[in-house]
Amino acid sequence: MLDKNKKFSCSRRSFLKGIAATGATAAVGGSIFDFKPGSFKKAEAATGTSAKVFQNACPRNCYDTCAILSTVEDGVLKKVTGNPKNTYTRGRLCAKGFSYTRRVYSPDRIKYPMRQKGRGSGNWERISWDEALTEIAEKILQIKKEYGSTLPICLNKYSGNFDIMHYGIEGMFSSIGYTSRATGTPCWPAGIDAQTFDMGTIICNDPEDMVNSKYIILWGVNPAWCSVHSMYFVEEAKRRGCKVVAIDPILTQTASKADLYLQIKPSTDGALALGMVRYILDNELYDADWLTQNSIGYEQFFGYVKNNITLEWASEKTGIPEIVIENLAREYAATKPANIWIGYGMQRHTNGGANVRAIDALAAITGNIGKSGGGAQYAHLQTWGFNYHAMLQSPPEGSKGGKDRAINMNNFGAEVLGAKNPPIKMLWIACRNPMTQDPETSVIKKAFEAMDMVVTAEQFMTPTVEMSDIVLPVTTFFESPGINVSYWHWWMNLNEQAIKPMYEAKNDVEIAMKLSAKLNELEPGSCTFPTSGDLEEWVGKEFNDNIYKQFGIQHWKDLKKGPVKAKNSRVAWKDGKFLTPSGKYEFWSEEAFKFGHHPLPVYVEEMKATDNYPLRCISPHWKLNIHSQFQNLDWMEAINDAPSIEIHPRTAARYGIKNNDNVKMYNDLGYIILPAKITETVSEDIVVVYEAWYKNRNYNVNYTVKAIPADMGEKATGMPGISFHDNFVNITRV
Amino acid sequence: MVKQLGFIIDLNKCIGCKGCEMACHNENCLDDIHYRKIVTLAEHPKNFFGFLSMACNHCRNPACIKVCPKGCFKKRKDGIVLHTNSNCSGCESCIGACPFRVPQINPQTGKVEKCNFCFKRIDQGLKPACVEACIPEALYITDLSKPLSEKYHEILPGFTIIRITRPSIRFILPQPPVCFWRHDK
Repeated sequence: MLDKNKKFSCSRRSFLKGIAATGATAAVGGSIFDFKPGSFKKAEAATGTSAKVFQNACPRNCYDTCAILSTVEDGVLKKVTGNPKNTYTRGRLCAKGFSYTRRVYSPDRIKYPMRQKGRGSGNWERISWDEALTEIAEKILQIKKEYGSTLPICLNKYSGNFDIMHYGIEGMFSSIGYTSRATGTPCWPAGIDAQTFDMGTIICNDPEDMVNSKYIILWGVNPAWCSVHSMYFVEEAKRRGCKVVAIDPILTQTASKADLYLQIKPSTDGALALGMVRYILDNELYDADWLTQNSIGYEQFFGYVKNNITLEWASEKTGIPEIVIENLAREYAATKPANIWIGYGMQRHTNGGANVRAIDALAAITGNIGKSGGGAQYAHLQTWGFNYHAMLQSPPEGSKGGKDRAINMNNFGAEVLGAKNPPIKMLWIACRNPMTQDPETSVIKKAFEAMDMVVTAEQFMTPTVEMSDIVLPVTTFFESPGINVSYWHWWMNLNEQAIKPMYEAKNDVEIAMKLSAKLNELEPGSCTFPTSGDLEEWVGKEFNDNIYKQFGIQHWKDLKKGPVKAKNSRVAWKDGKFLTPSGKYEFWSEEAFKFGHHPLPVYVEEMKATDNYPLRCISPHWKLNIHSQFQNLDWMEAINDAPSIEIHPRTAARYGIKNNDNVKMYNDLGYIILPAKITETVSEDIVVVYEAWYKNRNYNVNYTVKAIPADMGEKATGMPGISFHDNFVNITRV
Repeated sequence: MVKQLGFIIDLNKCIGCKGCEMACHNENCLDDIHYRKIVTLAEHPKNFFGFLSMACNHCRNPACIKVCPKGCFKKRKDGIVLHTNSNCSGCESCIGACPFRVPQINPQTGKVEKCNFCFKRIDQGLKPACVEACIPEALYITDLSKPLSEKYHEILPGFTIIRITRPSIRFILPQPPVCFWRHDK
């Protein structure tokens, strides 16, 4: 079981090695009907005698991966609620989750395949599935003939849907031959590598265990917006007497609920952690027994801290007064168990991985690793040990090219344009929206423009679809089956098909099957992906004995009774057996050194503002979306339809900016214009713009974001992360 | 009146996530109107993200009942104020009379609608959808006719709550964190 999981412990991204396809359950072109949302009956709707309840799973790239119960009446999804059997999501959904009926029945959905005459022209025409697949298949075969391999064809698929069956998209690509693949993960790899160097992989305690903490530091994480179900456990810990501290450059919603908030200079978190270590060391508050039994290299680490770190330095770096650092260090070291939740935001820097290593070290020297209520909590992938049946497909015999070619997802535009021998000529985009979510939008656009063909499988007319030649309509998770687990909690939720596919939408695996059929019709043997199959049976093919044992079930259909939780969930590293080369917690990591880092958790200088661009723009997640999803739905638009730029009052005064003035935020890459929101929740040297896609606005913070790599990520995920928050800009009133 | 059901909002716990508002939409299949809304409390320079989740306050002395010419409103024995819209002419008198402007015209029907406390759920022993959806358990209901703890406040500093109709809403006041703001040298 552990071995199996170990294989998957690096990253969901790094095992893109295959293809898969499936038979679709619903008839092609099944249910085209002119759905009028207004025709809902009122509250009685869901209580009718024909109402059926289905189990669904929210597949979004979110900590919470909610268990959903869907009420369907006469084939219409009437409402969704949380499934109370999942003790992490506790029968509750978030605002986004409650809006799902609006997504399924949105009039904006892509309803049938379409072809655009001229990328970006908006000149779309409806085509049949057969026409679309023929055109795509002919292009694939033509490229293969012209270049001798399928390497000029590139897939960019990632986090739009984390259902395990969706790895069938990668499977489809494997079954046509060796191809180019967007590789890496934008959001969190620096922290993954950091914990991999320290402990061997990422494993966190069950988040439900937070109630046992006596001291919680929410470090660069905003669960009130991004992991809202965790807030119950934070509140419950508080009720039981736990002190909650938030450390963040921004007074976030989460920080506003803490007992103590410390505003820190962005990207200096490692300096704070090392300053705390110095205090703990000087005052002998560390756990010597734990260190001798469970770690290597702590002597060298203590030596480094003694020789290089002072509280005065830490204070100067972080902007936090020495006395506050001392108090924090003393409280944290003296209160057991103490938990640090390390956010993904704080590692999106050129020193993000180093900062996470410093925080890990703080947790380790105080003996908080391997304890209930303790931990250096980042994430885990321990419940992801599926078969990846849909994904693991073999290339056709005699395929040329030798192996897949990795294209850095985090510098995608430039790498696509720069690919040689052979060049990249065709893109397939699925579960992604690079035109709004990737850095350097203008380069992404150039890459799209340079293609012979761009195919996007989508539900909405996103800016990425606008730059495509062909769009294929895909189902929502209510319209096809799947299986979902989380990178935070330890539950597994089955996703049942609750309604028929809308319009002509198809599941991505079904698209793969149809494409395979077309390819084989045009050139027998050109694609190994199965051309038919039952999608639900394919869900079953993802399971194995290890998963059954881990979750204590006999058969995957047991999940129809409700979600189940892994039996091995509670406390990470309890046995002190780390997955590092030494089997110990490694303060001194040869592995880190091999990847070009200092072997110890040392401070790495943060990026600083320049004269031309004196402000740091932080672009965190917004509460009403997950990246480019949700904010386009009518219920969300009704609450919020206007991004803004948050500016400190003194900064605003310096630039002569008042509330709601239009502000141009710019650097040498590009600019955006946004209304100002003057607030002291940000500090004077930063501005905050939340990343999102709004349907009818030319708004995209990534116009200004460079593809600067984070320090770490290469070991576990193949590519370093992106320093999204090392974006330096200037502003002016317009 | 045997009972007076009302809403309690613990502003210490409310994170303004809008889950209650969306749960209400979802439960009632609402298109164009909002039975429950999240209001951002007075902008403070160091805004501590004060939010107020508010729907119909099911007042003890509801003005809507008094002004409706068609008698569409009634108050149940548990204090819930219901609007039955079969006779509603859309005259909007109730909207004008309500201190919280809770009733709204549904543009699809031209008639008034408002929060009904999920009375059908209440009758089945369930909680209103908004309450059941509240993740930090900041929103809950209680019977206000019983003696109440002094932590439940009728007024909110810095936010006007008109008391004339005796709205059935109480607050637990927020305690902001101790903050250390940056102190650059």
